[in-house]
Amino acid sequence: MSSVIEQQHPAGEEPGNAAEPAQAESFDMRRVLDRETHSSRAAAAGIAAVVVILFSLYGLLESAVRAIGQPPWLIDPQTAAERIVALPNGIPPLLLGVTGAVVTAVGLFFFLSAILPGRRARHLLEEPRIAVVVDDEVIASALARRARLVANVMPEQVMVVVSQRHAVVNVRPTSGVPVSENAIREAVEDELRAMAPIPMPAVRVNLATSGVIGA
Amino acid sequence: MNSTPRLLNRVLIGILGLQLLAVGILLMLLATVPAVGIWWKAWSGGVWDAANRLFEGTRFPGRPESWLWIVLALVLILLIGLMVAWVAQQGKGRSDLLLAAEDPGGVPGDVRIGGGVAEQALKNALAERPDLAGASVTTYEVRGQPALKIRLHPRPGVAPHLLAADASALAAALDQVVGQRTPVLVHIASGARSRFSRAERVR
Repeated sequence: MSSVIEQQHPAGEEPGNAAEPAQAESFDMRRVLDRETHSSRAAAAGIAAVVVILFSLYGLLESAVRAIGQPPWLIDPQTAAERIVALPNGIPPLLLGVTGAVVTAVGLFFFLSAILPGRRARHLLEEPRIAVVVDDEVIASALARRARLVANVMPEQVMVVVSQRHAVVNVRPTSGVPVSENAIREAVEDELRAMAPIPMPAVRVNLATSGVIGA
Repeated sequence: MNSTPRLLNRVLIGILGLQLLAVGILLMLLATVPAVGIWWKAWSGGVWDAANRLFEGTRFPGRPESWLWIVLALVLILLIGLMVAWVAQQGKGRSDLLLAAEDPGGVPGDVRIGGGVAEQALKNALAERPDLAGASVTTYEVRGQPALKIRLHPRPGVAPHLLAADASALAAALDQVVGQRTPVLVHIASGARSRFSRAERVR
């Protein structure tokens, strides 16, 4: 009887709090962020699987046809193997070379997507409660807006490219209206400081030497 | 945030890539270098003879076909099955349970809160914002734990850190409602939806 009350009491006092910190600490957000900033190669995996499945289906068809003693659909496996053994002959060298080049290119695509790090164009933002990833394009768009307001130009006259460690701001000033490169740089750096993306990109401002007329 | 098997993807794609590379380079060499052709004829001829002998030795009694064809077909079926299983692993990990806890009160039973609660609440809170072109919320299960992924599509020029701060406040409010601290990942994404939407004029 008393044990029942004891069980209920401490649990009833703090219904959620006891579970909260444990939940938050055991969750590996660093791993999630690492996965979020790298490609999963799901698309390449899908293509690879489809390629293998198509080849297998064809092989299956021909070997099944062969096993039950029917005439082949496209090519008898025996003839195919004999042709492969005789290879440099029986096919124009140009066609053979081009086929080889295409197969090599496809193989290179798969191989490189397997071994390259596969970084995505994303930055992290520091936020106490939540984990935040931002596409570089969003950062570029925010910087472009700030630069445009400072330079007093149209949106089409500003182009910002954000990469892992660089933010390049290209501005084409309006003809006859002076634009201060330093003001733009300061504004963009100020915006970046407020944003604090990880890793922090270095700002470079390019003012075009020729202006735009009538903007 | 999903449970796509990334290492497996890399390994299998790498194996396929290496094989295709080898075949392609061999084909190109065969087309250009005559010496390779001579070597190829000798080597592949030997392999072909061995295979032929193997097929001769494994015939059905009294019939011309070898049972190796059936083995080959089974192996290919197995391979196809494995490939389908591999594709099915991509992008898995969605869940529809935000919280499953034993009810400590006197009433027997336990408490479950569906992911739809958080998804609907957050989506509604984000729907009216003029600086967003769209927002979506999904519940995932990461290593047995529920977690939320909020994807925000801001209009052009919106500062992401302000969005992130607001999303943080929303997540804190959700913690209060649910009574549990749910891990939240916010992805501020660009895409066709945010690229072609008109910029927010007033803020």
